[in-house]
Amino acid sequence: MNNLVLGKYIPLDSIMHRLDPRAKLVALILMIVAIFVPKSWYVFLVIGIILVVEILLAKLNFKYVLSSVKPMMFMMVFLLIINVLTLKTGDLLVKLGPVEIYADALFNTLFVVTRLLLMIMVTTTLTATTKPLDLTLGIEHLLKPLQVIKFPTHEIAMMISIALRFIPTIIEETMRIMDAQKSRGVDFENGKLSEKIGAILSLIIPLFSVAFERAYELADAMEARGYVPGAERTRYHVLKFEVRDYIYLFLNIVVMGLSIASRFVL
Amino acid sequence: MPISFKELSYVYDLGMPYAHKALDDINLDIQEGKITAVIGETGSGKSTLVEHLNALLLPTSGRLEILDHEIVANQKHRFLKQLRKEVGLVFQFSEHQLFEETIIKDVMFGPKNFGFTEEECKKKAVEALKLVGIGPEYYEISPLELSGGQKRRVAIAGILAINPQVIVLDEPTAGLDPVGGKEIINLFIGLNKKLNKTIIIVTHDNEMVYNYCDNTIVLAKGKVEYSGLTLDLFNNKELVDKLKLLEPQIVSLKNELRENGFKVSDNIRTINEVVEEISRQVR
Repeated sequence: MNNLVLGKYIPLDSIMHRLDPRAKLVALILMIVAIFVPKSWYVFLVIGIILVVEILLAKLNFKYVLSSVKPMMFMMVFLLIINVLTLKTGDLLVKLGPVEIYADALFNTLFVVTRLLLMIMVTTTLTATTKPLDLTLGIEHLLKPLQVIKFPTHEIAMMISIALRFIPTIIEETMRIMDAQKSRGVDFENGKLSEKIGAILSLIIPLFSVAFERAYELADAMEARGYVPGAERTRYHVLKFEVRDYIYLFLNIVVMGLSIASRFVL
Repeated sequence: MPISFKELSYVYDLGMPYAHKALDDINLDIQEGKITAVIGETGSGKSTLVEHLNALLLPTSGRLEILDHEIVANQKHRFLKQLRKEVGLVFQFSEHQLFEETIIKDVMFGPKNFGFTEEECKKKAVEALKLVGIGPEYYEISPLELSGGQKRRVAIAGILAINPQVIVLDEPTAGLDPVGGKEIINLFIGLNKKLNKTIIIVTHDNEMVYNYCDNTIVLAKGKVEYSGLTLDLFNNKELVDKLKLLEPQIVSLKNELRENGFKVSDNIRTINEVVEEISRQVR
C-alpha cells in the first residue's frame, strides 16, 4: 500500500508544474475527449507522442508514469478474456480446443487498452505536476458559475481538499493498526473466511473510531481559527492566467479538434 | 541466548525514487531477562528496530536471532505467528487497537488468535487486567467509554494476556499524565523482576532510563551509537555530550554533590537512594 503511485504529486520544477491548475484541468477534459473520440491508430500515435512530450517537459520519470499502469493490469487481462469469449468476428487466428481466438477480439482489446494507457498517461501527468490543494482550488474556480444556482462550490472544494489531505494519514493509520493487530496474532493473509472477516473487523472498527476522533479535532481546530462555512474568504495564493496557460489551452483545443475531425476524414 | 541483530539493514520503499534506509548495518545484542532502553532522536530508526523483533518488518539484508528463531533476509519463515506469541509488541498510542464491544472481550482477542480455548482466554484476560489494575466492574463495558489512561492499560493488558516472554514497548507513556505513566513503567519493572520477562522500551525519557533500565541502546540515523550498560553511558559525561544526549537530572545532581565534597557512588540510580546516601553522610 506504500507503493501507491496513482495520483501522487511529484515535487519538481518544470513548465508543466507552473501551469495554472485551471488550464490543466480544462486541458484534461479536452484530452480525454480527444482520446475517446477517434477510431484511428494514427490519431492515437499522434496523441501518444504529444503526451510523451508533455511528460518530458514535466521532467517526470517514465518508469514512474508506467508504474501507475500496474494496478490496471488486472482489468486489462479481464478485458481480454471477455473479448476473446464474446467477439467472434474477423479472421480466426488460433484454435485451442474449444477456445477460438478471432482477430477482432485481439484488435478490440488492444484498442481499449491503448485508450486506457493514454488516459493514465494524461491523468498521471496532471496529478504528478499539480499539488492536490491547487487541484481543488482549480476545481472550485471552474465550478464557480454553479454558484448562481446556490451550489456550495467553496464547501465542496474544502471537503475535497480535506479528503485529499487525509488520505496519506489514514493509510498510515491503517498500517499502524494492522501492525498492532498482527502483534495480537491476527493473520490478514491466511486463514478461513470467518477468520478473515474477524481480521478485517479488528482493522475497520478502530480505523473508524480514529477517523471520527480526528474529524472532531479538525472541526474544533477549524472553528478555533474562525472558519465559517459559506463566509466570504480571501486567498493567499491567487490564481492568475499567464500567456503560457492560454497557449497550452489553445494547443489542447487544436488536438481535440483534429481528433474529432479525424472521425469524419480518416 | 541474547536477542541478536547481525549486519541487519532495513530500507523503506525499496526500489522507489524516495527509498529510505532506516537501519544501516546493525550489529547488536539484547540480553534476556533485562530491561533495555532504546533511545535516539525522532527518525533515528528506533521504531523500525523494534518492529523487527516480532517480524512486523523483515530485514532487507542481514539477520536477526531471537529466542529459538532466526529471521534471515529474503527468506520465507513459517514461525512468524509463533514468534508473535513469544514477543509482544505494545505500540505507541496502543489504545487505538481496541475494537471489541467489551473490555474483557478485547483482552481475550489476542489469546484467542493464538488458539487458546474460551475458558483459558478468559482466565488469561482476567489475570492481565488485574496486572494493569483494571477491576472486574469494568469487564463488561465498552473500551471506548474509558479515559485515555485506562484505554492504554486495557491495550497493554491485551498484549500481556498473550503472556509473551519478551515485551517490547514503543513509547508506552507518551501522552499520559506523570502518575499514570509511572504506574505503567512500574508494572513492567515488576514483570521483569517477578517473572523474569525481557523488557525493551523505546523512549525519550532519559530520567526513566537512568532510574530503571539495565542496558541502553543509542541510535542515530539508523546506526548504533552505543550499546551497553546504562550507568556506563550516562556516567560518562564526554560520551553523553558526544552523543548529544540530555543528561538525566539525577546525574547532574550527583555531580554537583561531588563538587561540594560529598561521596556519591556511580551506581546510585534514584533520588531516594541519593537522599539516603547524603543523610547518612551528614549525620
